[in-house]
Amino acid sequence: MILQLNHLERKPASITAQEVVDTLYSLLEEGHLEQDQFAQLRVHLDWIQYRQNFRECVTAAKVTSEHHERLFPIEMHIDTRQVTPGCLHDAISKTMLNSEGQATAEQDGLILEDFRSFRDSIAWGFNRLYWHRLPDWEQFTGRSYQQALPGGKSDANHPAAIADCVADFWTLLRDLDSRKQLPEELFILEIGVGMGTRSGLWLDRFRALDQERGTKYYPRVRFLLGDYSLSTLERSRPAVREHIDLCSFIVLDALNPLKNLAFLRHKILHIHLTNVYDNLPDEEIARRDGRLYAVQVRAYVSSADAQRIAKKFEIPMAEIARTVNRLLEGGPDYLADRRRGLAFWQQIWNSMRLEERLVNLDDLPESSLPEGLSQSHLEEVLREAPSDVRFHLSSGALESFRNTLPLLYPRGFLQVQDIFVTNFNEYRLGFHGPGKLDGSIVNWVNGALLREVGERAGYDVHFAPFHYRKGSKTSILYTTQRE
Amino acid sequence: MTLPILPATVVGSYSMPGWLERLKTEYLARRISRRDLDEIHDTAVKAAIKDQEVAGIDVITDGELRRDNMIDYFVERLPGVQVDHASKKFYYDFYDSKVLGKLPVAPLGLVEDYKFLRANTEGESKFCITGPHSLSKRIRNEHYPSEEEFAIDLARVMNPELKALAKAGARFIQIDEPYYSGFPEDLAWGVKALNALVDGVDAKIAVHICYGNRYGKPSWEGSYRYLLPGILDAHVHQLTLEFARRGGEDLELFRELPARFELGIGVIDVKTQSIETPELVAERLRKALTVIPAERLFVLPDCGCLHLPRDIAFSKLCAMVEGTRLVRKELKN
Repeated sequence: MILQLNHLERKPASITAQEVVDTLYSLLEEGHLEQDQFAQLRVHLDWIQYRQNFRECVTAAKVTSEHHERLFPIEMHIDTRQVTPGCLHDAISKTMLNSEGQATAEQDGLILEDFRSFRDSIAWGFNRLYWHRLPDWEQFTGRSYQQALPGGKSDANHPAAIADCVADFWTLLRDLDSRKQLPEELFILEIGVGMGTRSGLWLDRFRALDQERGTKYYPRVRFLLGDYSLSTLERSRPAVREHIDLCSFIVLDALNPLKNLAFLRHKILHIHLTNVYDNLPDEEIARRDGRLYAVQVRAYVSSADAQRIAKKFEIPMAEIARTVNRLLEGGPDYLADRRRGLAFWQQIWNSMRLEERLVNLDDLPESSLPEGLSQSHLEEVLREAPSDVRFHLSSGALESFRNTLPLLYPRGFLQVQDIFVTNFNEYRLGFHGPGKLDGSIVNWVNGALLREVGERAGYDVHFAPFHYRKGSKTSILYTTQRE
Repeated sequence: MTLPILPATVVGSYSMPGWLERLKTEYLARRISRRDLDEIHDTAVKAAIKDQEVAGIDVITDGELRRDNMIDYFVERLPGVQVDHASKKFYYDFYDSKVLGKLPVAPLGLVEDYKFLRANTEGESKFCITGPHSLSKRIRNEHYPSEEEFAIDLARVMNPELKALAKAGARFIQIDEPYYSGFPEDLAWGVKALNALVDGVDAKIAVHICYGNRYGKPSWEGSYRYLLPGILDAHVHQLTLEFARRGGEDLELFRELPARFELGIGVIDVKTQSIETPELVAERLRKALTVIPAERLFVLPDCGCLHLPRDIAFSKLCAMVEGTRLVRKELKN
């Protein structure tokens, strides 16, 4: 058995580790745990910083063979933050004793979907619903999205960060100009504009700098504001009203900006995104003893929570899963009374957990990896990574990244402000999602993988800590053309 | 050289298969031997030759599949250039290389690769060489007083190899100088170095100038206006330029191209995977024919097909040949 401490919180780690070891030896001595099982077991102690998340205090992941027969758990994850004195013995026993084939959720919960990659889980359906019905959610909870953020506000609109970004852009223009390679129209793209605040501030600053330096670039700017819906784009208009003649509003899918903007291939000088990647569908891969496993999940609600919700909303237990699907399709109005629908949505979301299983990657088609990342490339990347590691594939972020780079003008650059893991070792030093942030999912982005994929696409990828606000966890990814 | 009107050729590289990328990288990591890699290269080159022949290309190349990229193939052969072999982990990356003293002259081993090509095709062929200007931009110069002097000395040491190629039967040699477009201010000395490279070489010489195709994307943008009139001093027979991706606006610049020059016109965009129709190719050619007579026109993709998947590259070449045939037919009528 290997006990792996994946965080730096000393006290909860030491207390929990002792109790875990005691419990597992007891199970061994009592004959509830085979020696073979014991030998293969990995116990991970995590410390999940998100108060709302998808984990029980103890969760186990079983390996599934090619024919999907369930084998015994090889991984057990313990959230040391949820551990209460004396709780571990029962929780671990329950998890380990439940190894005869039945999954935790089947014995003690209401299953909401079949096992699948996390990127296809209904958890993302909830995430989508949240962004589409954000005003309703905010009204219901009485709290805005910004207030739900860890620092109480977004770093996206920090004036000093914007000023630096504008200065970098102006330097690029001057450099291209001096080489007579500056195009007539200067295209800039902001993906995920929200209320348009950052775009407005950026344009204000650029106009001021251009005037100050007398370069007359400002009138040549073509500023593209991209977001997933027209209504969002409409809300962003007032923020850029002073520059409206230079702005275009474009509905686009962050996963594939190239689809709608193919006519601007190799033409955009600067592209910017803030907090988009951490909210795109994702999945995880685990490497254990040299083998790669896809982490598959299924969402469930514990039996106790399901009964409570059934009673409160007067919905038969057998109908809850169907009601959840209808909620995701039709929104909270499906439950006739919108407030009731919102309450049901919130209760299910808060109670939702994910059960896991590991599937050998060799048993899955290569197409299960995001485009631009072959299994051989992934294996190559992992040569430098710790031998046993579980990491995000950041499928959505990779897809978006790959489909954004071709828009860049030669020497143009992409900037992404987000929460990044920049080194595979970081996965062994802290929890990086998924967690719940209000009604949305928060997931750190595997920057180390983006860097590798970027290199193959002709861009060096760099990360700079967001030093404009003390304690900020965000970094700025920026690209430079690879020679 | 017996060629049809509007000869169809390629710029040099053919689609690099994913398996070959992996094996080249395995070789870098010392997991396969040089001997194995050589055999693999031979097999891949034969397949590239066959694809070009089947597509109907009139002047073919070896697909440049032995090359990691347009620089390192030469850097590893040039005596006097020091290469840090630990400096790349993926085959396509550039080695860090530098020159610390005057370059000596020695065979570069290109003739063997050319002979392999000749032995495996009965059709006309072309051999491609990266030019001294582009090489001087990638090899760190720690000896020569200026880039210009470095480039001209590179040309001096490479010139005997070009002569040896011609002696071995190479009747058509293409010099690749994409870095002209990134550094238009260098054009005058770039052409001087080019002339030193091809001096006394008994072969048809083309110079290919594009806006870069590193990682399948352009490295620079601009207009070919910078080429004129400087490029007219080049002792070459053909200019091979990129027009498909960039649109044909720059074509007009070559209306007055002196009769001693042929024009190789890019009619296939190699930076997108969408496959041109033969009609589109024909349309691009008809436009070019309004600028330059058919007798002086060659048909090519914009640049090498290195970054395209094999099926796409093959289909694009087929479309190019088909479109060329349409126009040939019109000319005949």
